[in-house]
Amino acid sequence: MTALNDLPNRAPAADQSRAPIELIRDLESTSGYWAAVWTMCTLPDVHLICDAPIGCFNLVATAVPDYTDAIPHIHNITPSVMREQEVTLLGTAGAVRRAVEALRSLHPDKTLIVVSTAESEMISSDHSDWLSKLDPPVPFFWSQSLEGDEWEGRDRALLWLWDRFGRKRAAPLSANDAQMVNIIGPTYGCFNSPADLHEVKRLIEGAGGKVNLVYPFEATLEDTPRLSRGAVNVVMYREFGEALAKELGRPYLFAPLGIRETTEFIQQLGDLLGTRAQADAFIAREKQTTLAPLWDLWRGPQGDWFATTEFAVVAGRSYTEGLVRLLADELGMKLHFASGRPRRLGEMDNIQIRETLHKKQPAFLFGSLNEKIYLTEAQAKATHFIPAAFPGAVVRRALGTPFMGYSGVVYIVQEMVNRYYDLVFNFLPFDNVAAAGQPKAADNPLTAASRLVWSEAARAQLDRHLEGIPWISRISASRELRAQVEVYAIKHNLREVTPDIVEQALAATATQR
Amino acid sequence: MASLTVPEGNLITPEIIQTRSKSSVSDLQSRTGHSVSPDYNLTPQTMCPAFGSLRVLTRIDGVQTAMVTDTGCLYGLTFVTHFYAARKSIAAPAFGTKELVAGNVAEAAIAACIEASKMPGTKLVAAISLCVAETAGLTEEMLPKQINGVDVILVRVPAYAIHSHPEAKDVAINALLKRYAPAQTEITADGVERPLTYDGSNEEEEALRRKVIMLGEVFPADPISVDAVLKRLGSGLAATLPSRNLDDYKLARRVGAIAAVHPFYGGSVATLRAAGVPIISGAPVGPEATYNWIKAVAAALKLDGELAEQVAAEERDKCKAIISQFPLRGRVMVCGYEGNELLYARLLVEAGAEVPYISTSIQKSLYTAADEAWLKARGTREIIYQKTLEQDVRALDRYQPDLVLGTTPLSAEAKQRGIPGMYYTNMLSVRPLFLSAGLAGTIQLIRDALERAPRYAWMREFFEGPRPPAPAGPAPINTMD
Repeated sequence: MTALNDLPNRAPAADQSRAPIELIRDLESTSGYWAAVWTMCTLPDVHLICDAPIGCFNLVATAVPDYTDAIPHIHNITPSVMREQEVTLLGTAGAVRRAVEALRSLHPDKTLIVVSTAESEMISSDHSDWLSKLDPPVPFFWSQSLEGDEWEGRDRALLWLWDRFGRKRAAPLSANDAQMVNIIGPTYGCFNSPADLHEVKRLIEGAGGKVNLVYPFEATLEDTPRLSRGAVNVVMYREFGEALAKELGRPYLFAPLGIRETTEFIQQLGDLLGTRAQADAFIAREKQTTLAPLWDLWRGPQGDWFATTEFAVVAGRSYTEGLVRLLADELGMKLHFASGRPRRLGEMDNIQIRETLHKKQPAFLFGSLNEKIYLTEAQAKATHFIPAAFPGAVVRRALGTPFMGYSGVVYIVQEMVNRYYDLVFNFLPFDNVAAAGQPKAADNPLTAASRLVWSEAARAQLDRHLEGIPWISRISASRELRAQVEVYAIKHNLREVTPDIVEQALAATATQR
Repeated sequence: MASLTVPEGNLITPEIIQTRSKSSVSDLQSRTGHSVSPDYNLTPQTMCPAFGSLRVLTRIDGVQTAMVTDTGCLYGLTFVTHFYAARKSIAAPAFGTKELVAGNVAEAAIAACIEASKMPGTKLVAAISLCVAETAGLTEEMLPKQINGVDVILVRVPAYAIHSHPEAKDVAINALLKRYAPAQTEITADGVERPLTYDGSNEEEEALRRKVIMLGEVFPADPISVDAVLKRLGSGLAATLPSRNLDDYKLARRVGAIAAVHPFYGGSVATLRAAGVPIISGAPVGPEATYNWIKAVAAALKLDGELAEQVAAEERDKCKAIISQFPLRGRVMVCGYEGNELLYARLLVEAGAEVPYISTSIQKSLYTAADEAWLKARGTREIIYQKTLEQDVRALDRYQPDLVLGTTPLSAEAKQRGIPGMYYTNMLSVRPLFLSAGLAGTIQLIRDALERAPRYAWMREFFEGPRPPAPAGPAPINTMD
């Protein structure tokens, strides 16, 4: 949060009593309206009417999901299509009514739900009253789009669905349901959820459970009452979903990320389901199978560089805390910084993350498209960016890319080792060939460079420049920077390299780039 | 159902409702042999209009944007901007109930402008005012003209008032022109204000007067080939707008003519026309339009007529030679939201394709009239402005095309039916179009797409099973009579 204290004098006078204006860069979380669409539209027997202009509809239903996890444009949503006349004159009740009537005749079997948007809330289009008087009544979801964020929005949407379509018809837990487990949370717009969900199901079954309902991702609205049949609930994300789990009144666990947490998850689930022996046997088997690659990498040469490699994370709370646990606490990598979403007090916002990344970049950055842009601005060539959050154009519907569970541990470490290999390859000397496969001219001015004298201060100056570069890339970077300085010195007929020359040389090279 | 009254422009029309209720889902399913989503309904088809402005503005060097809107809109627009427009960080104020209740819309916008202006090298901050801010009432006077020495402009693009993505490009460019190429007027002896005319005393100015600015977002190779042709006439291209260079906007009133190659720059054209700059409409696409366009440029600039005739004829003949070597055969639907669909359709028709149906998100205007008349005279049955997805899907049923150049949902629908489909924006806007050079590449793309038909059929059959015998559907339409 950046408090605004440098408004220029010519600006309209700011009322002192008003709260400071919070500034945002490159938003990483969206609104309650988007949360409602991405939660409710997963239910195939629902059709949403969003009280919105074209843009609000198109972005959430087509433009963004088409390029994120390659969710096809969302079919079961219709906008009221606010135009100027609705905003300024008529209000949107007429447009919503027409949509309700049309959709009722087109989809008699579906449950219509009207959802508010920021714009409809702005013009105070509250349709709850008249919609409730229709026969049958149409539920209205006030998405509180102007307040809260997408995590709160999903929490509210899930609770609302349970309250409205589940609670009253819920059957009490029967003896047959003792091993039943619900998974709460996967919706559209949850990064990498197909692979994580696949892994979590595998862990539940390994621990002796049976998956009852994946809500809402693999459920229908009609299924909602069946949530009561879960003996245990697994909440996929720490960002949201816990509120519904609490409301259901059964024990719940969070989906695990990291070695220890996954082990504890399986054990606790075994305890809750009365299948502890099966859970322990599963863990033992996993160490020999799924997890074996990690043990081998740990013992191999690849394991050594963890200790000297820095990483940073900007992602949802589950991923941020999970990756810090796995990479820093368990594998011993160096944490540059971490900032979870929703953001907690003291965690960096995008403005601060941007400034931090402009100054110094880690070797690995888990993040969203925003961080990728900040790395680009900093021309950070030695940093590996690994997508770990939305927003961002990423396709992750293959089941083999989990971050969660034991499979996630292996996948993440495997990806990092592969990128490390890449990094090493890219920084190996490549001096004998110029562009397009042509042999390089032999008259390299650096052959004479050995006669150059470096002052102690100049050497220190070079080191300072290297500090901003991730550790594994420093050897080759130091070679590169040194060469740049020496070529510059030779071109200027100098015999000694001083701090001034280092600065001039690096500045000149930067300009050429 | 009959009692429904629908305000003009609303996309839910009684006609749509009736058509859908008559031909029920199961009906459609039995005709097409596969599942047609029952949900293709009541959905307009254009990218969020505001994105047009963002795309233009974020791509200009030295321009930073500040977006004044709610978080949902901001999230979506930031996403598409980072993906489609520029890798440029975007500043915004938090804008929720708290801020709206406090009523400090302008302060919030100014704060975001200040943050945006901090980027080194910033020359201009564009404050983009979207639905919620517009509804809350953010007006031009509330923003300072400059902040810390950086120019500030307000670009107002609420999606409920700007009806399409291309038209929002026009809003952005017009805002730039008004600031960077203000009308220079003089008062004549009899007290009449009129555009300041150049007196011919400055050589540089004189050279600029012989040149053209092209108004329309085109592939970067197009201006190069256009410039080469114009140079043969003794003219040249001074710039193409939207440009990545802010200085290009300053030239707009100083050139000899503006070639508005896309039909939706109505606001910018009006601004320039009012300042006395001649406007050339149409674009050098396909043999006939290329010939006419080159002659029109020469006429507007008062260049050598004989030379123009010769150059125009040469370019036309080159186009014709390419077409005779690689003619197109097949029925193509052209359904984008970019606003340049009529141009593409002209090219395809001249190359031999049948284009019975064209749809676009822009409005019908003076600038679409010539192309519309030309196309209708050559077999195009329907041209739909401000179209809806339902209209496009029904056209698929009606025209049974061999290729669909469409929006994402329409292309997906075509592919689902085993018909080659391409996303208009991604595939066509990324290659040259103008003159003979553009023609060759475009024809090749279309020919390739048509030839890939068996793959689309194979994939459809793999996922959705064999097709039932063809129903007695609509008779093929021969539009070439």
